[in-house]
Amino acid sequence: MAKSSQAILTVAGVDKTYDGATRPALDRISFSVEPGEFFSILGPSGSGKTTLLRMIAGFEQPDVGRILMDGEDITHVPPFRRDVRTVFQSYALFPHMSVLENVAYPLRMAGARKAERLAKARECLDLVSMGDFAARLPHQLSGGQRQRVALARAIVCRPRILLLDEPLGALDLRLRQQMQHMLVSLQRELGIAFVYVTHDQGEALSMSDRVAVMSEGRIAQLGTPREIYFDPSSEFVAQFVGRSNLLPIDCVSGEGGCTAVLDGQPLSGVATPRPGPARMAIRFECVRLAAADQPANGACSVAGTVEDVLFLGNALEVNVRCGGLNIIAAVPSAGGEGYAPGRQVRVLFDASNATVFHG
Amino acid sequence: MADIASDIPMSAARPLRFRSFSILGWPVYAWFIALVLVPNLLLIGASFLRTSNGLIVFDPTVASYVRLWKSSSFQFLLLKTLATSFGAAAIGCLIAYPMAYYAARVVQRNRSILVLLVIIPLWISLLMRVFAWRMILGQNGILNSFLVGSGVLDQPSEAFLYTGFSVLLTYTYISIPFCFVAIFTALEKIPHSLIEASQDSGASAWQTFRHVVWPLSRPSVAIGFSLAFLMTVGDYITPSMVGGIDGTMIGMVIASQFGIANNWPYGSAIAVCLMLSVGVVLALVMWAGQTKGVLMGDEGARPAVSRARLSPGRRVLRSLAAAAFTLPYLFLYAPLAIMVLMSFNDSSVQAFPLQGATLRWYAELAENASMLEAVRRSLVVGFTVVLVSTVAATGFAFAIHYGRVRQARFFEFALALPVAIPGVVLGIVMVLATQLVQVPSGIFRTVIGQSSFVMPVILMIILARLRRLDGALLEASMDAGANHWQSFVHVLFPSIRGAIIGGALLGFTLSADDVMVTLFLSGTAPTLPIWVWNQMRFGFTPSVNAIFTLVGVGSLLAILVCNRLVFRGTSGAAGSS
Repeated sequence: MAKSSQAILTVAGVDKTYDGATRPALDRISFSVEPGEFFSILGPSGSGKTTLLRMIAGFEQPDVGRILMDGEDITHVPPFRRDVRTVFQSYALFPHMSVLENVAYPLRMAGARKAERLAKARECLDLVSMGDFAARLPHQLSGGQRQRVALARAIVCRPRILLLDEPLGALDLRLRQQMQHMLVSLQRELGIAFVYVTHDQGEALSMSDRVAVMSEGRIAQLGTPREIYFDPSSEFVAQFVGRSNLLPIDCVSGEGGCTAVLDGQPLSGVATPRPGPARMAIRFECVRLAAADQPANGACSVAGTVEDVLFLGNALEVNVRCGGLNIIAAVPSAGGEGYAPGRQVRVLFDASNATVFHG
Repeated sequence: MADIASDIPMSAARPLRFRSFSILGWPVYAWFIALVLVPNLLLIGASFLRTSNGLIVFDPTVASYVRLWKSSSFQFLLLKTLATSFGAAAIGCLIAYPMAYYAARVVQRNRSILVLLVIIPLWISLLMRVFAWRMILGQNGILNSFLVGSGVLDQPSEAFLYTGFSVLLTYTYISIPFCFVAIFTALEKIPHSLIEASQDSGASAWQTFRHVVWPLSRPSVAIGFSLAFLMTVGDYITPSMVGGIDGTMIGMVIASQFGIANNWPYGSAIAVCLMLSVGVVLALVMWAGQTKGVLMGDEGARPAVSRARLSPGRRVLRSLAAAAFTLPYLFLYAPLAIMVLMSFNDSSVQAFPLQGATLRWYAELAENASMLEAVRRSLVVGFTVVLVSTVAATGFAFAIHYGRVRQARFFEFALALPVAIPGVVLGIVMVLATQLVQVPSGIFRTVIGQSSFVMPVILMIILARLRRLDGALLEASMDAGANHWQSFVHVLFPSIRGAIIGGALLGFTLSADDVMVTLFLSGTAPTLPIWVWNQMRFGFTPSVNAIFTLVGVGSLLAILVCNRLVFRGTSGAAGSS
């Protein structure tokens, strides 16, 4: 338990199994969050990420393990004595209080005087550009506005850690993008450590300093968005983050190490740790297409026929039939007009972009 | 794409409107005029008449009001009645709140059973419950024989029965289930995420209760309080059974003006005064109970239950709370249990110790021709009332829900008015109305009177179910080519059948148990409760226990069946009364 002195939050070996559940909700979870860091927990529903968040907030107790804040054990400290605030997925605004009263509530609980807490609450509402709505009641607000009030309520006391539980889940796409920008700038401005739970990989990758990908109660990978995206440590991560082709390959040992064989065709340069059947992940956008007669130029190359094409606006997803496999390539839509079904193409990708998983 | 979708409002909640069919709204207006508007106007009108030699003289006057204004004993009685009912409702809420809190927010399993157990006494004959208290508090009663037997008292005390206290106690007993149901539904609805948000904001358990739980449940406390207050304020049965002279209440005076005293204008004036003061009290209570804001229902579901390991201290607290939680149940059920026990007791003195088991009280019943006649009459009245009310309620519910009634909100509220009128007042209102159209007292009059409050109850149940239905069901059916009638037969009726049957059963128990209204209307053709009531005036035999035990078991069965039908699939949403 090498506790780094500067970590603001440390989760150490936490296990949790709910009554009557067959498999654990959390299984040996450990990680640390630095002060002022934007830390995301990414995973599909049921992966245990919300349980983990609720445990940090104090609503759940771990069966085993500890939660430390600033090196101090807070595992058994009740939620209202933790310097941690939560933005709830459902916003959980008090329906009988005005927006201003909602935001002033934590200050009121802390015993601040009325004038002071109202002034601070107003200031905080301005910060999330909700100053004009102070007198409204929650049911008179739209989803995005409620979201911002919930955020204001959570940051009004300037906690050292802010927990966000899928806060953008209920918003539409455009609002979600606006809120992402706002969250990032707010986080820079306040210097609060954000622990952000989401199932949306786009949110996690775009905003975070580091991301923990969770699967079935475990952390599948922890790293920077770049590491997660380009160097997935497992098939699950490769599948869940971004969009990848997963191709069955055979690793054949020859002179000078193993060589990957895809559909009978050796791929030079693909790093394979050991012989045997395996799978190779390659992202859609790392796959290029070229005319059938163009030389490979050192890249891995497979010949195929275009089967269908999806137009995504900024890109085309071209599904190419290569022998017994399908490989999808994402190519820029500008200049991709020529890819019509039935056309013979050459599929190219760099060996360095491919990741091989045994298992 | 998303923009287009969000521009079109989801019309699921908005029922179709049929302007051309508005003729179907006419029965609603007719019912309102015949059973709500005219009778109440008659009451007000009658209060401005006077009597001479026992006959009503049509000579507008304010004499009755002047008499009331000058009568300090009336004013004292009115205040005492309001204060007793107010006190009972307040104590009822005080007892019911912790119970409801425990059942709604602490208990995790078998919650619906706990709720059902509190509601059941609501629907077991009021007479029976009051009678049981008389048996407990009386001079030969159980409380006295216990106290004397254990040496606390030297001789039986008279302090328990026939006092203001015994009325307050019995009213409290009647109040608890109403308060409980209302408070429970409110507490159960509070989203758990709000509690967590409050804790997260640094609020202690007490602060969370004060600033979040209490404000959100306050409106329902006011509703439960009002229901209980309404139930007891017009009650003339309880005071005359357990009140004695000290426990006289205004309902008894009103009833006597329409009985022995035979001064209808004066009785009407008292009733109007009672209704006005009740209205003022309830308005104040509702005003005090209001909370701004609207629960939106999207605040999030209850999270998975994790049983936190409790410290020994908290475990002791938990078991203490559970023990305290069972006390009100004892209070609710002990009188009923004692009554059942006594019905098998081989002694005509209703006191402990028991003298041995017998069925002779039940055997006596079977030979009692006038009682059997009363039972038969109760069944006839009950079935007729249920038939009339159910047919009317179903039609009205559709007419209101599908927009064939103008001012639907108003009529929904107005039709329910008889439920909110104190029992004694509703009784005389219906007397006046049936007298006007010269319906003689007896079965027919009883049916009309009972339908006035049974129909709205069934209507509310059916409307509640209709509103829970997916509004797109009817649209889907018509989209599939069915006309209105076919849609009704194949889609709508099957989906509300449970509510109709449940409402009908509930209506039957209401009808079969009613004393307050029926006593004014039945004349020489008593239903079973009225027959029992008449018997009790001439002293009681233990066979009354036997009747009540049978009635109680009967109502219990009916309640269980209708509970299954009405609330099937929905958890504990039992706010039908």
